[in-house]
Amino acid sequence: MSTMNRRNFLKIASAAAAASPFLAGASAKAAEEKHVVVIGGGVGGATFAKYLRMYAPEIKVTIIEPKKEYQRPYGSSEVIVGNVDMEEITISYDALKNKHGVNMIQDLVTEIRPDKKEVATAGGMTLTYDRLIVSPGITFDYSLIPGMQTPEAQAQIVHGWDAGNQLETLTKQLQAVPVDGTVVLVPPPNPYRCPPGPYERAGLIAQWLLNRGDKNPKVIILDPKDGFTTDVTMLQAWNRLYGMNLPKPFEKNYKPEEVATFKKYDKPGVIQWIMATEGGRVVKVDAANKIVEAEAGVFKADMITIIPPLKAGKIAIEAGLADKSGWCPVNMKTFESKIHPFIHVIGDSCIAGEMPKSGYSANSQAKVVALQVKALLNNQPLNEVVLQNTCYAKAGPNDYGMFVADVFRQNPEGVLKRAQQPRYLPFNASTAQFRLSAVYLEAWMQSFTQDIFS
Amino acid sequence: MKKTLTGAFAAALGLAAIMPTANANPEQTTNGAQSPAATMAAQTCGGCHGTLGQVKDTAFMPLAGMPTTHFVRAMEAFANGSRPSTLMGPLARSFSKEEIQAMAEYFAAIPKFNHTATK
Ligand SMILES: Cc1cc2nc3c(=O)[nH]c(=O)nc-3n(C[C@H](O)[C@H](O)[C@H](O)COP(=O)(O)OP(=O)(O)OC[C@H]3O[C@@H](n4cnc5c(N)ncnc54)[C@H](O)[C@@H]3O)c2cc1C
Repeated sequence: MSTMNRRNFLKIASAAAAASPFLAGASAKAAEEKHVVVIGGGVGGATFAKYLRMYAPEIKVTIIEPKKEYQRPYGSSEVIVGNVDMEEITISYDALKNKHGVNMIQDLVTEIRPDKKEVATAGGMTLTYDRLIVSPGITFDYSLIPGMQTPEAQAQIVHGWDAGNQLETLTKQLQAVPVDGTVVLVPPPNPYRCPPGPYERAGLIAQWLLNRGDKNPKVIILDPKDGFTTDVTMLQAWNRLYGMNLPKPFEKNYKPEEVATFKKYDKPGVIQWIMATEGGRVVKVDAANKIVEAEAGVFKADMITIIPPLKAGKIAIEAGLADKSGWCPVNMKTFESKIHPFIHVIGDSCIAGEMPKSGYSANSQAKVVALQVKALLNNQPLNEVVLQNTCYAKAGPNDYGMFVADVFRQNPEGVLKRAQQPRYLPFNASTAQFRLSAVYLEAWMQSFTQDIFS
Repeated sequence: MKKTLTGAFAAALGLAAIMPTANANPEQTTNGAQSPAATMAAQTCGGCHGTLGQVKDTAFMPLAGMPTTHFVRAMEAFANGSRPSTLMGPLARSFSKEEIQAMAEYFAAIPKFNHTATK
């Protein structure tokens, strides 16, 4: 074979390989064919794989994901109150496989070997990579909540923060709450997945109890923090909808003339938000008797949901990609690990400056990394980055929505910072704006899922 | 009825050929508007407005195929508040003039996605 023919042959062989979905370990790897392995087929991993295949179809992409289908955490509190069912949050990997030519392997990664640039799976496979993308989501840390360490306690009080069967448990627990009963909800400390999420869940539950006909139900939020993303919009809504008084220490977050517009109630409302400075920190939980002890006092509940402190996905921690904070430090231009080269950590597991841990952030990071990995594998210059986050939330009713929206760029030290613009609806937003935000929230669940998985 | 007609009409004209496939590589679909910098800015819109701005059947405006001046004017109007919005106001104010121009050219160069033809 002449040199000429041989080169042509290689070209054709690799083009053919790129055109068909890849089988693990099959087909001899053509000399110039690059392989990117992705751990986790969630928001970050799936978006990355789809976009890299779109931007650089010559690169082989393999996702390793233990679940046959994805269950989206975003929007999943709506399952608990029956607004959507489990089927609606379950998403197939077929389009990634068949339309985008992503090699999907249903397996669990058990080990990352940065020195050999390979990963090993529970099923006994070993895969080598040119670049590795790690997007394994979160793990839950109960070690700091006395009373919650046992498997029994964790089965009785669930978080439902990673979709799955716990959503069904929460649905049943809510349905079993007696008329005018008490639900206690404990949000996690910062940083955590979906900053407005716990509060939206409190609103959805309050509204569900009222819709059922309860006259005097209670949803008590025991918070380790003094504020949360979307708080100024959310507290205004709860004051209007659920008879909640504005906590005194929070008044400083509004202008005096805004504070004056808040209604005052002479008894506690349906939702009570007990912020950290008012004693919201939980000190002990008695799961069997449904009692939560906080600094502010002892709360007997009919249902409790606790979202414990969170950390990076287990595999990221085991691979030594996390620092003492429990999250993974990265170069915010490429999301390459500051600890192990050739490994990029995206989504909830990474530390991305001021970017929140949200689906939109994971999706935006994944696209940036697709562009950068393409550049890196082709020895092209890296790109300046711009990223975005948008999180929608409901106050409780289906026609009262809100959001936070931000654009992020690197500061001179390389840290991702928000563009300094208003990020919420204005204080005097119109009914139409709240209503439209709820319309967009529901449309977003569809369009966002399409952008990741279709 | 209207949908079916559009689909049939597109098919009759042989427009199915310009249907972007899943593998539509933005760097191949264009007149050069798809630089990495333009892609970097424009891809942030996809989380609501769909991959390549080709959102399907939702409340969001498809951006693919939107004329450049239309896109730029809309963003300016969102930013200065003359066009009421929910979150497009804050977002439009957060992007630079250059980024908005680059996004506009990026989306203008992408074919409109005729979804009905695929059904
Ligand atoms: C109630 C709720 C509401 C939310 N609402 C919103 C919202 O409105 N907007 C928004 O932007 N975000 C929202 N989010 C947040 C969003 O769902 C997450 O931020 C997003 O899913 C993070 O993406 P990820 O890729 O980091 O993790 P995930 O999407 O969790 O994906 C991780 C994947 O990795 C897999 N995996 C883990 N370990 C391994 C391993 N060892 N080997 C192989 N695979 C592995 C897992 O099975 C999983 O599929 C919400 C979350 C919750 C809980």
